[in-house]
Amino acid sequence: MEFEAVIGLEIHVELNGTTKMFCDCPNRPGDEPNANTCPICLWFPGAMPRFSQEALEKAVLLCLGLGAEIQPRSVFDQKVYYYPDLPKGYQLSQAHLPLSRGGGIEITDGSGQRKKLRIHHIHMEEDVAKLMHEMEGRTPISLIDFNRAGSPLVEIVTEPDFRAPEEAMEFLKALRTQVRYVGSSECSMENGTMRVDANISVRPQGTSQMNTKVEVKNMNSIRHVGDAIAYEIRRQCAAVQAGEAVVLHTRLWDPDQKATVPMRAKFEGPCVPDPAVPVIELSREWIEAMRARLPEMPSVRADRFVREHGLTAEEAAFLNADPEVAGYFESVVREGIAPRTAMHWVTTQLMPALRERQLELGGSPIAPARFAVLLRMLSRDEINANAAREVLAHMFDSAESPEVIVGARGFQQVSDPGALDSLISQVCEAHPAAVADVRAGQGKAMGFLIGQVMQASGGKANPKKIRELLAQKFGAKA
Amino acid sequence: MDSICHYRNSEPAASGDGPLRGLRVALQPNFSVAGWPAEAGSKALAQFTALEDATIVRRLRRAGAVLWGSTRMSEFGFGLRGSQAGGALLERAADVELVLDLMGESRAAASRAGVCGFKPSYGLVSRCGLVDLIPSMECCGLLSRSLAQIREILKVVAGPDEGDFSLPDEKAPDFSSQAIDPSRIRIGVLREAREALSAGAQASLQASVDELARAGFSMVEVSLPEHGLFPVVHRIAGSVEASSCAGRYDSVRYGARAPGGKNWNGMYIRTRGAAFGALLKSYLIQGAFFQFDRYGAFEDACRIRARLVAGMERLAAEADFLLLPAVDGAAPEAPATLAETYAQFAPTLFANVTGQPALFLPARPGAPGAGFQLAGPRRSDPRLIALGEHVLKGRKGGGQ
Ligand SMILES: [Zn+2]
Repeated sequence: MEFEAVIGLEIHVELNGTTKMFCDCPNRPGDEPNANTCPICLWFPGAMPRFSQEALEKAVLLCLGLGAEIQPRSVFDQKVYYYPDLPKGYQLSQAHLPLSRGGGIEITDGSGQRKKLRIHHIHMEEDVAKLMHEMEGRTPISLIDFNRAGSPLVEIVTEPDFRAPEEAMEFLKALRTQVRYVGSSECSMENGTMRVDANISVRPQGTSQMNTKVEVKNMNSIRHVGDAIAYEIRRQCAAVQAGEAVVLHTRLWDPDQKATVPMRAKFEGPCVPDPAVPVIELSREWIEAMRARLPEMPSVRADRFVREHGLTAEEAAFLNADPEVAGYFESVVREGIAPRTAMHWVTTQLMPALRERQLELGGSPIAPARFAVLLRMLSRDEINANAAREVLAHMFDSAESPEVIVGARGFQQVSDPGALDSLISQVCEAHPAAVADVRAGQGKAMGFLIGQVMQASGGKANPKKIRELLAQKFGAKA
Repeated sequence: MDSICHYRNSEPAASGDGPLRGLRVALQPNFSVAGWPAEAGSKALAQFTALEDATIVRRLRRAGAVLWGSTRMSEFGFGLRGSQAGGALLERAADVELVLDLMGESRAAASRAGVCGFKPSYGLVSRCGLVDLIPSMECCGLLSRSLAQIREILKVVAGPDEGDFSLPDEKAPDFSSQAIDPSRIRIGVLREAREALSAGAQASLQASVDELARAGFSMVEVSLPEHGLFPVVHRIAGSVEASSCAGRYDSVRYGARAPGGKNWNGMYIRTRGAAFGALLKSYLIQGAFFQFDRYGAFEDACRIRARLVAGMERLAAEADFLLLPAVDGAAPEAPATLAETYAQFAPTLFANVTGQPALFLPARPGAPGAGFQLAGPRRSDPRLIALGEHVLKGRKGGGQ
């Protein structure tokens, strides 16, 4: 029997607000343990939560960026659960009336078709404390760090629209891009600012039943999410074929064993309303004012790149995976550089050079205007591509303008026919066989001769000019 | 005095100047006063010291009130078992007492002490800094011989607080004294509340009806057929909230911890088993039962609660205020079980369910019973107190 998987995701995204969600403590979980605490986030008797407007705005921008419908009224509840990382005994979360409903992300599925993966709802909640298990001599002890307690989170709950691990990975990559665009979170699974749980069940291909699902947790990269889902689908298919029942439970992904293993579930209870947290009522005007603050979203911007700059859909999507790269590209284009040249040089030369030097685009010495000067010299044939690559390398080490670097280091392209003619004569004398091949009309041999002349010029010759001169010499078409 | 006092302020004079200058206020150790024990009558909070003043306390201090100390209280203020609320007034050690009102405790304590007791509208006074148990029902009650003093205190403490986001932004109503014209006021007597009373208590209530009628008010009978649902709604919704709320009193960062737990789970179970008293424990267990096993019943209770609120609001079309009994003489004095506790507070807990203000007035000297309650619509607090002042003034005048 053929099976298909039914997969839904629950994604926690830690918002990058400056304070926690219900107090003024800094939202910096990585600081010295328990440095960022107060009676509210320590949940001391008598303390009352103070809802942060900033957290609300970050959450609303995130929802709007994902095409979700902000609800005019949303409410926090006490989500009762019992675990030492939550000494309060409940987490403030929007269980019944979430901040937004609907929305989704379009991806390209395995067969190359565009597919919309829908979001069921997005709700806000506070993060819990962090447990650290250590040994004190031979006694195991557990320490609690409250820096993360009360940090602002949203949980994105999708519809069970996913059928393959790759779809989940595509979705998460696109989600990460969109959320970074609106600036609400870094969305890094490696740093724990994005945490993904996957609900997975299998059913005979083509049926519409919903079978018992298994929840898989503990993946700390998008790659692991794909691996864990793929493993779990195989495991469940094998179990069903062996006649075993799938029971509702939670499993942990073990990246070393590349397998999911069952875990004891946390004791989770229902939700109780909390009158201490005000009901969040948002007017249409306020929501629209927030929408106006939304930057142009990646998919919209990518469409525009295709329309305005004549890029292919793939090139546009590639540039828009990172808002900074897309913005940089546009700045270079605004300096008068042809879009195709800008796209090519940003993605194949500048980005690898930054990676090599472990620099970020924003903090690099290659500002868009400076990069544009280099590309302008290239397009005016003042330097060739080889030289441009070398000048770029120098630009990382010196604050001089590309013109100064070119002048000082003799990178100018040699286009003077007199100088090139003598090089061409030398090369033709040294390679009579190739000359004969060119005469016989073999294009390959032409390329060989051009390469030889380039080499003889120390890389400075203008290859276009060489081709022209060679063509003249042999009466061939340039 | 030790039998009443939980904590005695050693520097009571150190207060500022202001409208409450010199007014002596006693409170309970579930109101946070920086540096004072805030154990809320429970071993679960043993040796817990408040870090900051509650908003009410800060406002009282700023207005010049003198904080006398805290009185002994029941566990988390639930019921009056073990409570000495009203004692500081009887001993004339304080002019006003603050008593958390979860199901009528401030009004019942006033009745016991023979003084006035007022539970304000929900959302009128900040709960920031109060050790809570039933957040949607409880509120700071005030006990005093003088309603004018209660008014003066409300002038200072009522109104929005940036520490308590659950309060509406609207300004507190004006608590200046105001005149009452009895001929223009209808007072409703809730038929179902009266019929639920024992014969003796009915007679006391009738004496109150007669007193108000003689004072010139129009007395009308009103009816809320669902009145009998108040205790069950309070008991289900209240216990569920308490169970969730008390989850934080885990004795890890403060409070008494029981030894012998093999792991964190065992430590929690042993500690919580030892920390809470029998009455509160049964309440929390009941709340956990509804939360985990009968959640539907909890949701029903919330729905019925909304209906009861609407029902009481509708009565405002027939009567400006309500007259209600405060105690039923047949109910046990010092209840030990949940059922007995709820029986004791059956006449008062309606106001905690609906959030409306309620005032206990002691009976006219010589009249049967301890006294009665007057209640008004939400945020009618100043008028309700003015009504009480008018009734008390009528007695002094020796009128009828
Ligand atoms: Zn804090």
